[in-house]
Amino acid sequence: MSAYKRLSIRQKQIVWAWLFLAIPTLFYGLIRFYPTGTAFVISFQDWNLLGERTWTGLSNYQKLWNDPVFWKVFRNTFAYLIIGTPVSLVISFVIAYHLDKTRFMHGFLRMLYFLPFMTSAVAMAWVWRWFYQPVPIGLFNNFLASAGIPQIAFLNSTTNALPAVLAPAVWAGLGFQVIIFMAGLRAIPGSYYEAAKIDGVGWWTVLTRITLPLLKPTIVFIVVFSSIGFLRIFDHVFNMTTNNPGGPLNATKPLVLMIYETAFSSFDMGYAAAQTVVLFLILLLVSLLQLWILKGDNS
Amino acid sequence: MAKLSLKKLTKSYGKVEVLHGIDLEVDDGEFVVFVGPSGCGKSTSLRMIAGLEEITSGEIWIGGRKVNDLEPKDRDIAMVFQNYAIYPHMSVRKNIAFGLWNAPLSKAEKAARIEEVARILDMSELLERKPSQLSGGQRQRVAIGRAMVRNPAVFLFDEPLSNLDAQLRTQMRLEIKKLHQQVGNTIIFVTHDQVEAMTLADRIVIMKDGHIQQVGTPEDVFHAPANTFVAQFIGAPSMNMLNVTGAGDEISLSSGIKMQPGRQTQTGQPLLLGVRPDDLSVDDQNPIVTGKVVVREPLGSETLIYVSGPQGEIVAKVPGKSGVKVGDEVKLGATPEALHFFDTETGDALV
Ligand SMILES: Nc1ncnc2c1ncn2[C@@H]1O[C@H](COP(=O)(O)OP(=O)(O)O)[C@@H](O)[C@H]1O
Ligand SMILES: [Mg+2]
Repeated sequence: MSAYKRLSIRQKQIVWAWLFLAIPTLFYGLIRFYPTGTAFVISFQDWNLLGERTWTGLSNYQKLWNDPVFWKVFRNTFAYLIIGTPVSLVISFVIAYHLDKTRFMHGFLRMLYFLPFMTSAVAMAWVWRWFYQPVPIGLFNNFLASAGIPQIAFLNSTTNALPAVLAPAVWAGLGFQVIIFMAGLRAIPGSYYEAAKIDGVGWWTVLTRITLPLLKPTIVFIVVFSSIGFLRIFDHVFNMTTNNPGGPLNATKPLVLMIYETAFSSFDMGYAAAQTVVLFLILLLVSLLQLWILKGDNS
Repeated sequence: MAKLSLKKLTKSYGKVEVLHGIDLEVDDGEFVVFVGPSGCGKSTSLRMIAGLEEITSGEIWIGGRKVNDLEPKDRDIAMVFQNYAIYPHMSVRKNIAFGLWNAPLSKAEKAARIEEVARILDMSELLERKPSQLSGGQRQRVAIGRAMVRNPAVFLFDEPLSNLDAQLRTQMRLEIKKLHQQVGNTIIFVTHDQVEAMTLADRIVIMKDGHIQQVGTPEDVFHAPANTFVAQFIGAPSMNMLNVTGAGDEISLSSGIKMQPGRQTQTGQPLLLGVRPDDLSVDDQNPIVTGKVVVREPLGSETLIYVSGPQGEIVAKVPGKSGVKVGDEVKLGATPEALHFFDTETGDALV
């Protein structure tokens, strides 16, 4: 105690700062950095979860590089990202933009859009699987049939399956993005629009020159957030294709599902860890790139 | 040419009527200030003139055209908002250019117009800056600039100075007045600050609860207030009000003092006597009130004294060097011309 008393005010502040920092530091160290570090280590090892860990150098990465399934999965993952992010961004903005102007049942409508976000992915996947069934069960194909349009094999076609799996994933995330967009729209002072109205500026110009630029921080957030979501897509795919996860013929398999199967079906932990490291690097790169692009010209 | 007329203008939000028939004629080039306490309907009136708020009933005429059903952009007006409404992501030049969005001018003409406005407002060197790099007063000037490029028939200002600190406010007030003398457009200016209203206006419109109380020059409303509200709203500190009873050519105060106000009154009629702190002098031969000084507020050239007596507390403004101290007994009086009489019931001025 007397040692503490002899410290200067500045030194005491440092002691307290470290004391307060200890909890988050410990938390991050134990819960985040330690497992992450371990994953990196395991990616250079061979381990079947039960036996010994043996060092294998870069062989896991070499295997990955030469694995055609990995490249297929890699392409799928980016397809989810490149289709999912812009589509969900545009749809959620359009909904938020109109919902913001609607006074009629505003709260109720907003709740309706938010509902899917709170629904379990499993339940949702099953409903969508029912939508996608052939006649006479599936909703969509029944529609097509009554309109005289040929049937579409949604989940059984290697070309249609990925978009068909992506649709509910986009749909599920919309509510959240709509809420964020609406908060962003609300934060723009009404007088900005009134000034534009007096100047006689048309709605399209107002949208592109005022609303969207002022929404930039919101857009950055949503793009980064939903990109990470689509790069890590798993539960929707897994539940939509339970009989043959990631099928047909790996047409819908994302990276996380491949990691899951490598780790817990094949028990090849080293290989799974190597895939995880690759996913981590992709996430890091994509996020940094987006932040850089979207924030770059802000000066 | 750019006269503005409001005819029996009313505004209701749902079932609640907030403006109850506003009639006003504004001449070309006039600087008119709407003043009144918060919530009296100043902004609503202004926004109806701008076309941002629907008109419930009545008519608005600008420059000989009825504008009730015209879009804001077609009304030949420009507005400066309280929060300036300048776009943070655009340079000053782009912000000002926004005012010219629909103008039938070539690119070069627009650029020249922007330069000219920037020169008048003394901000030519600020044109490439972003609003975040400007001070409050400069932002204010950008907002005025955006309105000015349109060269509108009528400028509308909604409390444009209330976000500025006191010193800057005084400075911008002066600049707006100079600007008006220079460009000569009609201006409608809304404020809740009576000093701003007095200093800026050619004519003041004093409002309360959605009614116009008085319209007149600053001198009119100060020297001949139409009712007790105007009398007490204009001038600081507020006019003192005393309950008196008429008695022929005399009046008697509740304190027992009798005095000749220089006019005839109905015997036994209760009246309100109003007298401005500035018009009271100490040690008067014909005092209205006597009492003890309870508080002194020196303001430099003048000192405010609060005098407590049998008729209640009243405030007087005396010369700074008068040497009145707290605890002094004083007799306060005023010349008959400085006395204002009001009806006790209606508050209307008696002439
Ligand atoms: N959008 C609105 N809906 C309902 N009442 C309103 C609305 N805008 C203003 N009011 C009411 O109208 C009255 C006048 O408001 P306003 O013109 O803003 O006053 P001022 O500008 O003089 O402070 C106030 O009582 C206010 O509550
Ligand atoms: Mg107002």
